[in-house]
Amino acid sequence: MPDLQIEDLHVRFSGVVALNGVSMEIREGEIFSLVGPNGSGKTTLFNCVSGFVKPHHGTICYGGLDLLSQPPHRIIDAGISRTFQNLQNVPYMTILDNVLLGNHSRIDNWETVRRWLSRDQRESEEQAVLKVLDFLGLANYEQKYLSGQPYGIQKLVEVARSLVSRPKLVLIDEPAAGMNDQETMEIAKIITEIRDDLGITVLVVEHDMSLVMSISDRVCVLDSGNIVTVGNPDEVKEHPDVISAFLGEGAVA
Amino acid sequence: MKSRYADENLSWIAPLVLLVIAIPFLIRGVTFSYRYYLYVLNIAGIYTILAVGLDILSGYTGLISLGHAGFFAIGAYTSAVLVDQAGIPFGLSLIITPIITGFFGLVVGFPALRVSGMYLGLTTMGFGFIARRLIIALRAWTEGSAGLEVSNPVLFGFEFASDWANYFLIFTFVVAVVVVARRVMNSKIGRAFMAIRDSERAAEAAGVNLTRYKLLAFFMSAVLAGLAGVLFAHTMRFISTDHFDILLSIYFIIMILVGGVGSIYGAVLGSVFIVLLDFLLIPAFKDWMALFVAIEVADIQSLIFGLIMFLFIIFQPMGLYGVWLKMRIYWKLFPFNPKKRFT
Repeated sequence: MPDLQIEDLHVRFSGVVALNGVSMEIREGEIFSLVGPNGSGKTTLFNCVSGFVKPHHGTICYGGLDLLSQPPHRIIDAGISRTFQNLQNVPYMTILDNVLLGNHSRIDNWETVRRWLSRDQRESEEQAVLKVLDFLGLANYEQKYLSGQPYGIQKLVEVARSLVSRPKLVLIDEPAAGMNDQETMEIAKIITEIRDDLGITVLVVEHDMSLVMSISDRVCVLDSGNIVTVGNPDEVKEHPDVISAFLGEGAVA
Repeated sequence: MKSRYADENLSWIAPLVLLVIAIPFLIRGVTFSYRYYLYVLNIAGIYTILAVGLDILSGYTGLISLGHAGFFAIGAYTSAVLVDQAGIPFGLSLIITPIITGFFGLVVGFPALRVSGMYLGLTTMGFGFIARRLIIALRAWTEGSAGLEVSNPVLFGFEFASDWANYFLIFTFVVAVVVVARRVMNSKIGRAFMAIRDSERAAEAAGVNLTRYKLLAFFMSAVLAGLAGVLFAHTMRFISTDHFDILLSIYFIIMILVGGVGSIYGAVLGSVFIVLLDFLLIPAFKDWMALFVAIEVADIQSLIFGLIMFLFIIFQPMGLYGVWLKMRIYWKLFPFNPKKRFT
């Protein structure tokens, strides 16, 4: 059973403690949210899982594989893909190509070389992408260039890129940042569908509390690199430390 | 119904090949001094191969190179030495030399894993100087800075002895390189290159091995520069280190800038445009212009190239290929043209 197990993670950036002994377990098939104020280490945790940041101490295991021993480009082979908080797209490529980029590790090299000689250059590669684009409601966008598309579309393209390689766990960093209410509702629906229809475990960082509370199975609250509490949304909402940390002392009454 | 797939429309290839074949006959029909025009076209073809390679490296992968004259020179001199002194047939040199040049590309590529932007430009520029000094130092084979006479290309017993024959040799390679380069850039390799250019993070998260693909870009680019070098050495029949200086590297950069960075057709358009300008237009207007501008006749070339690059960067950053794309939209929408679009 591939669970993501994070144990005793310590990360420092020259004096700033980003993560201070964080341990958690993300079970297969759940939507797990990380919340917390700015600088509480949510994105650092993401970067540790996807290999961009190597922690000073601690382990991250996924289905028996030690992720920390893998370079960043091998993480996707373990079945983990991610999106970014700030758009990390290729503006002068079509949406189709942007999503195909996410399938990079699944496309066979020799198959690619063989196709340089054939007439039907990419049809088989593109089937998977069209399916994902249909799933996200981006059908008929595939031939458009990404530059100049609205922010919401660009964000969805990034989600599509992380889904096309059929991962088992997807890390979504602030999907609703900069979105309006309607787009946020759409994102919530999409995240639920990713879990329900595609069977992918979702780990999400988000600031929009109503979104987090409505979709998550479990929520983890981080503050300055420490875990405040982990639990289902209702428990977290009632937890006294969370209330004092985020709403202030007097807010309970 | 319009296809949903990004497969290339290949119907234009046959007319294009016919056009390439027809051009020398047309020129011979029109003008008496057709040999000179063919010579100019041959140079344009050779530089096109090199510009496509440079575009793969700098346009697609975003790794700037100011040392491509170095790869070009290594290709030219390696082939000259292999064919004329080691007795290897030209056809074999056409395969071996680009690979040797490609390994030089890998060597230069290693620093590119660490440095980027302007620092990479300086590193590759340094390589250009080193390559030139190296060739001069290896006097035993290259005759130093005196220049080297090179034999004609011989393939399957046929000797390409005139600009007319060379034209067909060179443009066979140009068409092949353009078609193959477009296909490679449309596959996962091209996508990985563009992802490295725009977001290394996204590329890595998608599973692109940055080390491998950056080195691959350098290798491919150097292979094409080496191929151009082989063709240059044997069709020009005389090579000298003076030719392969830093200005030549900058000349190549101007080609891909003017053509349109990050598109294979752009590299083709740019190199043909610049070579025609350099060999046909500027000589025609040189003396006439010197009457109005108080400048040495020899400096007019630099003046015009500088001006062209300047104007393209400001007014047409997508280059000649961008102009073509805009024109296509213009005609597609014909009576309903938003005026702003066609600028």
